[in-house]
Amino acid sequence: MNAIAEQFADKDIGSIFLYTNEAHPAEYYPHLTSMEQKLRHARDMRDVLGVARPILVDALDGPCHRSYGSMPNMSWIFDRSGVPVYKSDWTDSYSIANAIEYFVGTIKRRRAGERIVPFHVERLDYRTKDEFAFYDGLERNGPKAVREFREAFGGPK
Amino acid sequence: MHDPDLLSRYNYDEFVPAKFGPWQRFHESPPLGERSPDFPLWDLAAKETSLSEELSNHAFTIVEFGSFT
Repeated sequence: MNAIAEQFADKDIGSIFLYTNEAHPAEYYPHLTSMEQKLRHARDMRDVLGVARPILVDALDGPCHRSYGSMPNMSWIFDRSGVPVYKSDWTDSYSIANAIEYFVGTIKRRRAGERIVPFHVERLDYRTKDEFAFYDGLERNGPKAVREFREAFGGPK
Repeated sequence: MHDPDLLSRYNYDEFVPAKFGPWQRFHESPPLGERSPDFPLWDLAAKETSLSEELSNHAFTIVEFGSFT
């Protein structure tokens, strides 16, 4: 996602990471009880995972996250006026890159004088499923996160 | 003023279906093509901004929601 942000930055495309609740709270990163803790977790994420995009933090009770469906790692694309033009219940860089290429194209078409109007389309996209990498991430949170996910869904280890 | 019950339910302390399941409400999320709600947000220096203010900076903005865990 960092690479997509960089790739499209000069095409008037912004990219932000919006920090929510902890999806898999555990020993090292427990559930959130204060904004100070939430900001600290967000800074740790930036430093450990190398998130280069601006990180913005929702209020502690997550009104923004909850309003948009409160999925743990969803992505949306908005136009300048705050109208959503893409939403995905999971974040996948291929899907995002494909969508943003299309929207950059609409900017070019408008600038070329073409009259375009929106319409609705549904599509099922496909994301990479890397269970080993996912479990590595859970282990970073603490043994409790691994145990709870395995109990809920099973796993490769 | 935060609702303490909402705070603890949203910031659940264990990943069990009874606690994370109720928050998976993508099917209830705002429709595309209509202006969506605005909310205050904070940068990592705790300076307040808003979703609409951030979106106004570019023709389109990608917003990824997530956490460290």
